[in-house]
Amino acid sequence: MDSIFVYRHAGPAAPTAGPLQGIRVAIQSDISAAGWPTDAGSGALADFSALEDATVVQRLRNAGAFLCGSTRASEFGFGLQGSAAGEALRRKDADAELLLDIAGEGRLAAARAAVCGFKPSYGLVSRFGLVGLIPSMESCAVLSDRIGTIRDILRAVAGPDERDFSLPDEEPPDFSAGGVDPRKTTLGILSDTHGLLSDAQEALFRDAVGGLKKAGFPVREVSLPDSALFLLVHRIAGSVEASSCTGRYDSVRYGRRSPGARNWNDMYLSSRGAAFGPLLKSYLLQGAFFQFERYGAYEDACRIRARLAADMQRLTGEADFLVLPATAAAAAPASLADLYAAFALTAFANVTGQPVLYLPPAGDAAAGFQLTGPRRSDARLLALGEHLLNLRRGGNA
Amino acid sequence: MEFEAVIGLEIHVELNCRTKMFCDCPNRPGDDPNVNTCPICLWFPGAVPRFSQEALEKASLLCLGLGATLQPKSAFDQKVYYYPDLPKGYQLSQAHLPLSRGGGIEIAGEDGNPRMLRIHHIHMEEDVAKLVHEMEGRTPISLVDFNRAGAPLVEIVTEPDFRTPYDAMEFVKALRTQVRYVGSSECSMENGSMRVDANISVRPRGTTQMNTKVEVKNMNSVRHVGDAIAHEISRQSAAVQAGEAVTLHTRLWDPDKKVTVPMRGKFEGPCVPDPAVPAIELSPEWIETLRSRLPEMPAARAERFVSQHGLTGEEASFLSSDPELAVFFEAVTGEGIAPRTAMHWLTTQLLPAVRERRQELSASPVTPARFASLLKMLSRDEINANAAREVLGHLFDTGESPEAVVQARGFRQVSDPGALDALIDKVLDGNPAAVADFRGGQGKAMGFLIGQVMQASGGKANPKILRELLAGKLGAKP
Repeated sequence: MDSIFVYRHAGPAAPTAGPLQGIRVAIQSDISAAGWPTDAGSGALADFSALEDATVVQRLRNAGAFLCGSTRASEFGFGLQGSAAGEALRRKDADAELLLDIAGEGRLAAARAAVCGFKPSYGLVSRFGLVGLIPSMESCAVLSDRIGTIRDILRAVAGPDERDFSLPDEEPPDFSAGGVDPRKTTLGILSDTHGLLSDAQEALFRDAVGGLKKAGFPVREVSLPDSALFLLVHRIAGSVEASSCTGRYDSVRYGRRSPGARNWNDMYLSSRGAAFGPLLKSYLLQGAFFQFERYGAYEDACRIRARLAADMQRLTGEADFLVLPATAAAAAPASLADLYAAFALTAFANVTGQPVLYLPPAGDAAAGFQLTGPRRSDARLLALGEHLLNLRRGGNA
Repeated sequence: MEFEAVIGLEIHVELNCRTKMFCDCPNRPGDDPNVNTCPICLWFPGAVPRFSQEALEKASLLCLGLGATLQPKSAFDQKVYYYPDLPKGYQLSQAHLPLSRGGGIEIAGEDGNPRMLRIHHIHMEEDVAKLVHEMEGRTPISLVDFNRAGAPLVEIVTEPDFRTPYDAMEFVKALRTQVRYVGSSECSMENGSMRVDANISVRPRGTTQMNTKVEVKNMNSVRHVGDAIAHEISRQSAAVQAGEAVTLHTRLWDPDKKVTVPMRGKFEGPCVPDPAVPAIELSPEWIETLRSRLPEMPAARAERFVSQHGLTGEEASFLSSDPELAVFFEAVTGEGIAPRTAMHWLTTQLLPAVRERRQELSASPVTPARFASLLKMLSRDEINANAAREVLGHLFDTGESPEAVVQARGFRQVSDPGALDALIDKVLDGNPAAVADFRGGQGKAMGFLIGQVMQASGGKANPKILRELLAGKLGAKP
């Protein structure tokens, strides 16, 4: 088997006409494509094949895209250990990749592959057919070297879905490429993230911000004193949600049943026990602990989450968009703490549901960074990213 | 020491929606096993629940019918437990923000005074799968039928206002009537569309403490509810008297042995808000539109039957206890039949006849129109009461109109004095002793003679005219 693909789709006899004609899109194995293996990187779904296309897959196909295969996912898409996300782009086997961004995976995978990574606003893209872990925090991220491709994909997949009632019944934003006037676009820098970067990373990030100033954007510092709470809120509320929601992966109707159980209770216990990997298991146990032993802390986390979302919305009154640093993920986290440390700068957008775009470094001696805006500012955010990339690439974003 | 019981009920009612609560599968649990299933109600990976508008409407109507206050915002939570009837590991239920709060039902207490039994809240939830335990040869096997998984339910949770088995039974009966009225469920305990669990504790009479409660399940009729509660009260009272502690647990009612037996320790964790089903927000306009769809409820209808139709309170509440019966009654009076006549013939003749034939009133061949035609002939003296009873029997077996049955089978009453005269003369000639008795002052001989003439007429003589003619011939006052 291919080292990055768990499934490769033979090309169609003739390309399908449509706005995405000729675009090769790889998905991860936690996104359903009818008949394709969809194990979400977990023993709990070993040998499971999706019954139906996810809405994103169906809409990509309808728009003429070629679904070229499915790549290895981390267990339920959480973290990047064992995940091949971004690899198909690096090998030029695909023009775009789709993956679940649960705590920042989309942006970290983009950083790893040095491409653009976009996590849309929560509620903009249907979750039907996504085999997720933390439904209220995850979005389907799109990776590509070209912002134009990301925009075309968003235009095809965004918007209400009769199979996912959780999407608001709102028209999706107008994704046509819009002009950006740097002098009228204020960028905010969060002053409270400094401690999270090494001196060298800090210097690179300062360089990148310098580049933005040089491009004509007014830059100002803004403050969110509670920004350290994003990770805690994500970890507590996310783990409780994950623990409760993964109940459906019972390893009985799909996945592998453990043999030799004496009764059904034993069979459930041993099958579920054998199904999940150690990192995910400790995450689910943590969630169960908060749910059953510290429910008050979970309720606090939910309250703080709402306040943080309001705080971030308030900052958009001080700046049109925020610029945040991004760091690469640890290759093989040994513990939950390691895993979460990698998301210190990305988890905020999953907590608040706002859109966020990762732009790769402008050169070898530069830093990539994240751009974020208020919820449903997706189209303007992509336009800003495209403007910046055009400056670097001479109009070939 | 004398004890009193503190009882609260938790009542599950299965809504009679066309589809399940979160998918389009037919809501027909009784079909062949596992035919009414889809990736959503089987909870396959990637499935997203879609909350049914019909379930919301039927549940909300039920709440309004019970006088409850619909909440502007309610939401679903995940109630976590692992059991093979719930392989997805959690049930979607409204633990934190229920659909409605408050409400209640007024029953007639044992002392005859009205007694308000309050409802704490009503929430929606999905049903779980059904387990079937069988033997395959000598191996016991357990099968799971997902037809019921995701079926729409509401749970009505009362305040602990109940003190006796009587309270509970009256409440359940009244609840059943009211829910049938709004049309949200058939509420049959026998076939499982209504399930009643009781939480029971005891305390010394006169105290106000709330002691450890025991939950009792598996009552399949209103009578079982009363029996199980009565048994549990005496069991707990005896235990407390003997100095034993009552522990929190669940017991099952065994209707054969008439005892409650312990079932399992309670496992209940706090529920987590479900992230996939959007919160339900009800506008005041939506609620008022729905309220306008509420039918006239039984208490209001009974009052109207008293004032409009001159029925007694007892008759009126009997007729309005069943919406079908009440509608039937008013359809008959609507044909011009006097309300008392309609009430009398409906309750003493038609209902027993329908029951005897194991039919439902609504499905019986005796429609309100046919029944009214029959009663019309009775009130016009075209047939007498005996004949009317016989004609009614024929109406179950034939599609003919009551008039045709009367005509074809000669039930028409004989009111013609000429024809009756001849019959009377014959009877008087044949019974000189009775005639002599009457003339000798024995008034009851008149009854005998009337009976003889009636018999001779084949039961068709108009009794009023017959009595007048006979009295004339015997020289007595009629």
